[in-house]
Amino acid sequence: MLITGIKSKPVYAPLQPDLRGRYHLMVGHGVGGEPLLRVLGDLQTAAPSSGAHTQILYVTDAAAADSITGQIRAAKVANVRLFERGDELLAAFQAVLAGSLMGTRLYVAGPESFMGLVMRIALQFNLNKDEIRAEECGTLARRVYCIHCCSATENVRTNITQCGCGRWLVVRDHYSRRLAAYMGVMVDAEAPGELPPVKEVFL
Amino acid sequence: MNVVFKPDETFRDDFTFRNSPEAIRRFPLPFPEDRYMYSVNIEEHLPGPPGSVIEFPIDIDEHYVAECRERALVLAEEPRRFQALPHMMSSQWDCLELIMESLARDYPQHFALERRGSRWVWTNRPLQIHQTFTFGDPATLPQEPLEYITRQAQGDWVVMDQREGDLWCEAGMVTTQADWSLDFDMGMSFKEWHGPVPLAHEMGVFDRALKFLLNLRLNEPVRRLNWTMTIHPRLDTSPENYYKWGPDRATVTPQNAGNKAHLRVELQGLWRLPRSNAIVFSIRAYLISMQELVTVPKWARRVHRVLRDLHPALVDYKGLSRYRDAVVEYLAPFDDGAPTSPGTAPE
Amino acid sequence: MNHADTIVVRVVAIEQVTPQIKHFTLAPAAGGNFPAFSGGSHIIVVMRGVNRIHRNPYSLMSSPGQLETYEVSVRRMEQSRGGSHFMHDQVQVGNELEIAHPVNLFPLDKIARKHLLIAGGIGITPFMAQLADLRTAGVPYELHYATRSPEHCAFGGLLSEREPGRVQKYYDCTGELIDFEGLLSNQPLGTHVYVCGPAPMIEKVVATARERGWPDSHIHWEQFSAPPVGDAFDVYLARSSLKVHVVPDQSLLESIEAAGVEVPYLCRGGVCGFCRTKVVEVDGTLVHNDHFLSDEEKASGKTIMPCVSRARCSKLVLDL
Ligand code: FES
Repeated sequence: MLITGIKSKPVYAPLQPDLRGRYHLMVGHGVGGEPLLRVLGDLQTAAPSSGAHTQILYVTDAAAADSITGQIRAAKVANVRLFERGDELLAAFQAVLAGSLMGTRLYVAGPESFMGLVMRIALQFNLNKDEIRAEECGTLARRVYCIHCCSATENVRTNITQCGCGRWLVVRDHYSRRLAAYMGVMVDAEAPGELPPVKEVFL
Repeated sequence: MNVVFKPDETFRDDFTFRNSPEAIRRFPLPFPEDRYMYSVNIEEHLPGPPGSVIEFPIDIDEHYVAECRERALVLAEEPRRFQALPHMMSSQWDCLELIMESLARDYPQHFALERRGSRWVWTNRPLQIHQTFTFGDPATLPQEPLEYITRQAQGDWVVMDQREGDLWCEAGMVTTQADWSLDFDMGMSFKEWHGPVPLAHEMGVFDRALKFLLNLRLNEPVRRLNWTMTIHPRLDTSPENYYKWGPDRATVTPQNAGNKAHLRVELQGLWRLPRSNAIVFSIRAYLISMQELVTVPKWARRVHRVLRDLHPALVDYKGLSRYRDAVVEYLAPFDDGAPTSPGTAPE
Repeated sequence: MNHADTIVVRVVAIEQVTPQIKHFTLAPAAGGNFPAFSGGSHIIVVMRGVNRIHRNPYSLMSSPGQLETYEVSVRRMEQSRGGSHFMHDQVQVGNELEIAHPVNLFPLDKIARKHLLIAGGIGITPFMAQLADLRTAGVPYELHYATRSPEHCAFGGLLSEREPGRVQKYYDCTGELIDFEGLLSNQPLGTHVYVCGPAPMIEKVVATARERGWPDSHIHWEQFSAPPVGDAFDVYLARSSLKVHVVPDQSLLESIEAAGVEVPYLCRGGVCGFCRTKVVEVDGTLVHNDHFLSDEEKASGKTIMPCVSRARCSKLVLDL
């Protein structure tokens, strides 16, 4: 069974402004604020009037410097909204997409587990890879879907993890955008009780 | 062809599944040579010789009734083994039509389909089903169309929508799979879905296969064979139930391999569907124990050589690591080193 | 990939729907129903003329829910090289023709949140079948349909009747123009636009949509080129060791087929890329008329789409 090197694992790239877009929607979490500010700067340099068509949704996080939050709050764009919790942002994001027009580009930055939830909503609005850019930063902790009990565990940092159902799961690189999660499969099925050492790998 | 069913066979618990001598003779061995590596081995799904598994587009064999019961058992525990995204409804009807038309045409003694406009009457004698329904109206069937018809068909069925130059896995009935999960893979693109397969991506296999399938035409289905191994004649080797079947892998010895280890061959068929422009992918598993396999001397030699020399990445991917050596040891005495004739025919 | 299994059809009705468009209703000659299909599909109609065979692609217009007949409309091409003239002048009710199984190179996107259809003239044909699919799909859609004048507006009445409030018609003669800018600036996320019509219209829609930030994956167009008339030239088929003469009003593909050499094809209109053939040598210039090869590929001269393209030369050598 392949654990790493699976082709469904998403590939991310540093955010670049997409000047073909008419509307720019920037969504970030914690340390994701930095790349957002960078791409915002690049966008405004290349297209000085784009601020009128740009919105930012951002979750403040203790991990990010206060100066980042300050700069985001002061960004010269049509609309900036700050949230304390990810789920609040996701609800607002969904409402924004419902009123958005073709020509919108989505820029997402932050930990993968957060971006996965954002992109899962974008998927429901038929935004595809041509309309979404994503840059990973911050923790590599994963959202893991237990293939046996069908529940997701958040913030997994270790190679194996115990699911709520009691099973120890090995975390594979197989990723579902629809579930916004990696696959977790029972690690000691073939030899019950034989667990590899627990290692922090997703930091 | 009149198939004599073996309705009491089981694929779990006491595993009473066996192949009759006729079923062994028609087993679709996937190794035309003494060694195995991936290739884009897709060919037109044309009718094969009478009695072979490819005589008809959709094969019904002696295990039909027992396999349908096994599927019902899996679904009773895990309804998520059937899933379909809402935009796949027209492809579900396409699949229902494909399966009903094929079975009624090729096995008239077992199945019948009467079409009066959109009023259809379906008769499945082996399963004692008689259903009148309105084609296109899901409310007239006890389940969604794809679930309804694949409860009455052998093998797994996956429907892929075609858009953005890709194929998306967006509906299916998957209860007899070799370690992949429909629940997890729903909504994936062709390459995401095949992500866990080693080596083949680097070899460009999926690029070529995708390109080929995007141009698949109505009325020109294609097929290929794939294979792995399974301990016991267990059809449901899903990741969901890995904890149930995983332990079996550690129990194989050269002494019991003949009975326990099974070659599992998938006859995969692909059809373009007319109303939805989607593609249906049928994955039909055939099982044969090593004991049954060695009754054909050529096959014993060949499978011994293939397993002995298999690429390590494939040994791991196919989940053979724990027991490959035991099976090779079991088969070794049946391989006298004599050359095998080309092709897969028994001799 | 050649159409060994064509279906023999009988022409059961012909209607002159505009001064230039004839509408044909076909039924399977053997009785029964046609194969099912999806909106946007086309068929290749095989016409056996006196000394040549035409194979032209036409979009299926009938409802995919009704399979007793297939319907196609044919516009008489002024500079035709045969196919459309054959359909207009030779084909009578009761005649038999052959068709290949439907192929869909212009499908609707099944997860679109809205469909915006734009048709010009004869470009209405694929939409007629798609509309039948859309009426039951439960997703918003609208059609914008431009023609020269009400007289040229084929199926205008039918559309207004079937699609109340969803069709907007525009007539050149009264100066009504589709406001592409406005239309493409104001669509909800997840909209797909489909355009079929004359080349300038397609170019305008594609360019405007891109300029308004639409990604290409949301822009769909279909345009079957009729193979244009050109100069005569000779083609050498290297692998078959054959020399074939291509006359001005016959396509390269037709000439090769007439010599008994098969080339795979799906659309015969420069769209699908199936007929792509390697050029071994040419002592003049290739005249590319397809919509498949990129500009760089065309400039490189390494391949040609013989269904619509030709050469201005005395000698062309193909890897066939
Ligand atoms: S046949 Fe489609 S491009 Fe030539």
